[in-house]
Amino acid sequence: MFGLCEEAIDVLSSRRADFGDIRIVRTRAQSLGVRNGETGSVDDSETLGFGVRVLLGGAWGFASSGLVTRAEVRRVSLLALEIARASAMLMDRKVRLAPEPAYRDFWQTPFIKDPFAVPVEEKFRTLFEADRLMRRDRRIKSALSSMRFVREHQWHATTEGSRIEQVLLSSGADCRATAVDGAQVQERGYPCSHGGQTLAMGYELIDLLDLPGHAEKAASEAVALLKAPDCPSGELDLITYGNQMALQIHESVGHASELDRVLGYEESYAGSSFATTEKLGSFRYGSPMVNLVADATLPGGLATAGYDDDAVKAQRWHIVKDGVLSGYMTNREFAPRVGLRRSQGSCRADGPANIPITRICNLSLMPGSAGSMEDLVRSTKRGIIMENNKSWSIDQRRLNFQFGCEIGWLVENGKIKKMVRNPTYQGITPAFWGSCDAICGPDEWRLWGVANCGKGQPPQTAAMCHGSSPARFKRVKVGVKAG
Amino acid sequence: MKEHKKTCAEIFRLAGRVRAEVLVHSSESALTRFADNIISQNVAEASTSVSIRLTDKGRVFRTSLNQPGGAALSAAVKKALAALKLQKKEKSLLLPPPPSPLRPAAPGLYVPATAALKPSFRAEKVAALARLCRARGMKCYGTIENGASSLTVANNSGVFASHRETSAVYGVTARKGEGYGWAEQYSPDASKIDYAAVGARAMDKAAASARPAAVPPGKYTVILEPAAVGDMLFFLGYSGLGGRAWLDGRSFASGALGRRLLHPSITITDDALEGPAAGATFDFEGLPRKKVVLIERGVARAVVHDRRTAAEAGERSTGHALPQPNTYGPMPQNLEMTAGDSSLDEMIRSTKKGILVTTFHYTNLLRPKTVEMTGMTRNGTFLVENGRVTRALKNMRFTQSVVEALNGVEALSRERKVINGWGRMCVPAMKIGKFNFSSATGF
Repeated sequence: MFGLCEEAIDVLSSRRADFGDIRIVRTRAQSLGVRNGETGSVDDSETLGFGVRVLLGGAWGFASSGLVTRAEVRRVSLLALEIARASAMLMDRKVRLAPEPAYRDFWQTPFIKDPFAVPVEEKFRTLFEADRLMRRDRRIKSALSSMRFVREHQWHATTEGSRIEQVLLSSGADCRATAVDGAQVQERGYPCSHGGQTLAMGYELIDLLDLPGHAEKAASEAVALLKAPDCPSGELDLITYGNQMALQIHESVGHASELDRVLGYEESYAGSSFATTEKLGSFRYGSPMVNLVADATLPGGLATAGYDDDAVKAQRWHIVKDGVLSGYMTNREFAPRVGLRRSQGSCRADGPANIPITRICNLSLMPGSAGSMEDLVRSTKRGIIMENNKSWSIDQRRLNFQFGCEIGWLVENGKIKKMVRNPTYQGITPAFWGSCDAICGPDEWRLWGVANCGKGQPPQTAAMCHGSSPARFKRVKVGVKAG
Repeated sequence: MKEHKKTCAEIFRLAGRVRAEVLVHSSESALTRFADNIISQNVAEASTSVSIRLTDKGRVFRTSLNQPGGAALSAAVKKALAALKLQKKEKSLLLPPPPSPLRPAAPGLYVPATAALKPSFRAEKVAALARLCRARGMKCYGTIENGASSLTVANNSGVFASHRETSAVYGVTARKGEGYGWAEQYSPDASKIDYAAVGARAMDKAAASARPAAVPPGKYTVILEPAAVGDMLFFLGYSGLGGRAWLDGRSFASGALGRRLLHPSITITDDALEGPAAGATFDFEGLPRKKVVLIERGVARAVVHDRRTAAEAGERSTGHALPQPNTYGPMPQNLEMTAGDSSLDEMIRSTKKGILVTTFHYTNLLRPKTVEMTGMTRNGTFLVENGRVTRALKNMRFTQSVVEALNGVEALSRERKVINGWGRMCVPAMKIGKFNFSSATGF
């Protein structure tokens, strides 16, 4: 494939491009689903394509194609140059990229069991078993179980001399029961919501998740929620559990720290950010125990790779350190605007057809000293535990948010008293993180995958992970009602 | 379409006696994005995807690829045929359907000149906007895009349905200090877009929404511009007007067809055949899409079906299948809300105290049975007092049941807007008596 890459590099170099690159990407994907005892979905796909990016006279052009031939690489490279010339018609400064050494390297996701070597019928056996176990109560109207696997093989060549080959692998699975009784509809998923748990692992993840071993509990909790009381309304302490903290980190810190947003380049669509550059190093984002670390080297992380799509080597850095805004997600174009000599390496594209953009890296809340979940509950006078995200919404500057979860439990005087349904909470980002008064220890720390993060125009999907231990936030507005 | 036909013929040859259904989608698109009065991103994409469903003796398997011919296609089909034999047999598996007569697509959906626009055309439009913005002390952000796509659904029982259309969208966000304005226009014909008017509307809104003030959260009369109404209609359709959700009891209309669920001024139709939200006249199994009156003067009349949900409901398919098999069920994709007899100005004039909303942002569903949603206001939120807009407001979060909101409709505009996104819809502006804002934000 690097032979084809050279065609683009030759075209771009001979036209005196400031910078240019080509990514050829072959993707193998498989998604399988079972719904109510029948095959719900099955798709085994393989795609191949390439994208050419060029910086000419300080202006960007990008074009892509699914036809991978020498002639098409040449045509698309010339089109990218034409587009860059059009971009130059309206610019205020020449784009200059932060420097990065040239690399010649191969990197791949470590795994134990190749998911594509496991027969589809074996995967379906697991899914049908989970499905059967979820449908024991007549009030379960919808049982869904699913698996998905993606292997992306990339060849990336730059005019600076990088030749990087990477094979990125991810696996994911979940089961989900929906119970209906009159006006009540309640859902419960295992191990989490939004397509389930997805990590950069092989089929060993599916074995570890053991869907059939957890399917009945998920279904019985969905049924129990039908009769549970509503989440109380008011200001209570909140304990985040399951993948809810992953969404909280993702929406209120991850997107807020994307430097392209901060600088206004996403203003027309996803919005901007309150975490503006003059706040770097001084703004109190959260309480002193809040440490949020971006890490492209994290084992199992969906944003873990040897290099990003700017050909920048993987790094680990603080976004929030001891409660203070300390860094951003960057690409090579914007990193110098906050005084960085080098990009942090958080620029990725959705496949070959899209231009790389600044993306959330794996971003995790570091464990604290509050011990186990039991210890945290014991030290809580009155609060609500909320587990697994169900709905999410945050404003265009990433300040005002509202989250809803699948299930809640009321805690009183250090004990879990009862299950509550339709738990929701609202907050303002810095005040919310500032109210964090306890984070459980490393034994409770879990990594959660977000495999469907949307951003950009044209829309792109990216995947990343967020790790956390359960944490407590003081006096949070919970039980938000439609009025 | 000749290329699509060739791809399908090759797949049918390779499939032999196995029943095969093919979806081929090709697109060429280009998008210029701008921010801070400069072009910030400029891209073009050409792609073809092929998705093949094989069914045989109660077994099903799907394979997809983006190479419409050659060794890759042949290898994919051979691999899928081998995998098909190992799948579990299902009694209720539906084979791809036989052909049905299809209506031609509504005229005007494919305009070759729109597909052929050059990067320089888009750059010139953005440059003109940026000049005006700079002159008014503003910054502009947005996209200008054009493209063409074609879809073929075919099977080896004789179905061969093709549709092509072009698309142009110009969306502008203008900013003046803390004031924001937005406008957007979609058309299959780029020459029908009024680029100057879109830019002017966004800039005027930004100027008017400078120095926003706060009002306390609570229940207010609201006047929603069409983009905000479209957000509500999307969630109503997605969560409540498809046959699967309806059969599962998850829809607001479950067990309630024939009952008045919304205000008598609300009529909602799904119509791919003609009218402003028209599109492909067949579904993803190649069956003809029918016009379906979903809500008639507030009364729930129907939901859309594919063959599977139709059989469960004792109905006939309305031609709203997504690619099979899937877990979502059928979906309405060409929604149209009937116009009223008012206008945005008349709604403002008739309001003693209320809030005018340009767009919503980051909306999401909380409870499907009441279509309870949350989201933010964005791009120009205004206080209306005694029949006129008196000042700009800081954005607010709403938490509101759409079913309840659509029971409190006080006026609908004559003028409607076509919104092209997930499917296509056509909606008026709307005035609602009580709308719940649950919290505020600082800008």
